[in-house]
Amino acid sequence: MRVYLRYAIRETLSNLWRNRLMTIAAVLTVAVSLSLVGAALLLKQSAAQASAQWQQGTRVTVWMEPTATGSELGNVRSQLESLPIVKNCVYYSQAQDYQEAKRILPTVEWSVLKVSDVPSSFRCVPTVPSNAFVVESTFANQPGVYKVTAPEQQIREMNRAIRILQIVFLVLAAVLLLSATVLILNTIRMAIFARRREVSVMKLVGATNWFIRIPYMTEGFIQGLLGSVVAIGAVTALHTWYPLHNEFVLSTGALMGTNAVVLIVGVLIGSVGSGLAIRRFLDV
Amino acid sequence: MIRFEHVSKTYKNGTVALRDVSLNIDKGEFVFLVGASGSGKTTFLRLLLREELPDRGRILEAGRDVSKVSSWRVPYLRRNIGCIFQDFRLLPNKTVFENVAFALEVIGRPRTTIDSQVPQILELVGLTDKAGNRPSELSGGEQQRVAIARAFVNRPLILLADEPTGNLDPSNSESIMALLERINRTGTTVVMATHDKALVDRMRRRVIELDHGEIVRDQVRGVYGIDEPIGGR
Repeated sequence: MRVYLRYAIRETLSNLWRNRLMTIAAVLTVAVSLSLVGAALLLKQSAAQASAQWQQGTRVTVWMEPTATGSELGNVRSQLESLPIVKNCVYYSQAQDYQEAKRILPTVEWSVLKVSDVPSSFRCVPTVPSNAFVVESTFANQPGVYKVTAPEQQIREMNRAIRILQIVFLVLAAVLLLSATVLILNTIRMAIFARRREVSVMKLVGATNWFIRIPYMTEGFIQGLLGSVVAIGAVTALHTWYPLHNEFVLSTGALMGTNAVVLIVGVLIGSVGSGLAIRRFLDV
Repeated sequence: MIRFEHVSKTYKNGTVALRDVSLNIDKGEFVFLVGASGSGKTTFLRLLLREELPDRGRILEAGRDVSKVSSWRVPYLRRNIGCIFQDFRLLPNKTVFENVAFALEVIGRPRTTIDSQVPQILELVGLTDKAGNRPSELSGGEQQRVAIARAFVNRPLILLADEPTGNLDPSNSESIMALLERINRTGTTVVMATHDKALVDRMRRRVIELDHGEIVRDQVRGVYGIDEPIGGR
């Protein structure tokens, strides 16, 4: 066994060194594609987490017409107060909303505003995030109501954008993973071709099939492994420094999970590539 | 040691390589296999190595039915069979020592065995002083002796030789034959396919002649005999 281990390690390393250019190409392709996979996974996780956070604090705002009468105001207020799906309604007067506009809008815009142009508003927190839509449909057409808005829509739109981005990442990653597999397959094929004399002598003198195969298997395995190690570095860097994450802070656990997937996929790609090459080109 | 019972082999392209061949070769025999190109000599050797399986019939080697050996056990079967070829099949980037050691290394023999066995076998083939040379630095006869050392270092029961002197001049052929005889005297069964008329005639060993896949002659102390007209022996 020890004899064999020494032999297998020596053969694998010398194969890797002999084909070092192809090895680098294969490792880099694996790394790039796995980085994309990792990024897509991180994106999915942070999107899920971000929307969960936002939904907790979802507000629904009933904007009144600036011209709304006192009775219209009172009507909406009493209805909101009697509605069981809404808690914590706060009334912002026109003056308060004007102050807020002043804070949010650029000078050129708010300077043309007059207090009388600004709608007053009820800022409410629904008991369940999805109830924001019930509030919207209840009040949107009531007299004196200008508009009902809920950030839920924005969350949905953002989630949709993230989903599309994620699909693009995953499709790209799938294409790259395929080419990584083919590259590894080709590297192993070249290694087998370079050693065809050795292989035929080995068969002749009765080396077992696994004895002949294993150095090539480990070669592919190591290429996949190296690729995923580089990708894990990239994913971790992304997680640490990418600006997207100023808003969505992901736990270390999520990062670990993503890295585990990257590692497994990398090793799998390497093994599949070399396995195919061995089946196809090393007939033992 | 080797027994063929009604063995037939037809290749996929329709070529009939062997037709109902039956024969028996005892342990320690030295057998010449003669016949024109395409007469089935190579198929005969390939069947013994289990590189091919017979379509019909049984092949027994050391009492074992070759067809029944499962594919993962084939390497172990081959460890009992040494093999040499016309083109030597040495590894050009390894030294003589490493070429011979390779045969032991890849069947998992420990370093200590290799270090004791290889010098011994190099001594037997008379190449001790060339142990550090590459095959390209040797003459054809010397290269074939390295190949014999590699085939014999694991002490197989059977040694197959496919035209071992085909690329050699007469004096080198002589030394190879002397070596094969020496190996044969240790009890190893030697089967040698050859076209070398002078050699066969001089050795006076058992000669099996194949023609279009059939045994047409099996003589105990035979001669090459193919050039002679039928009945002219």
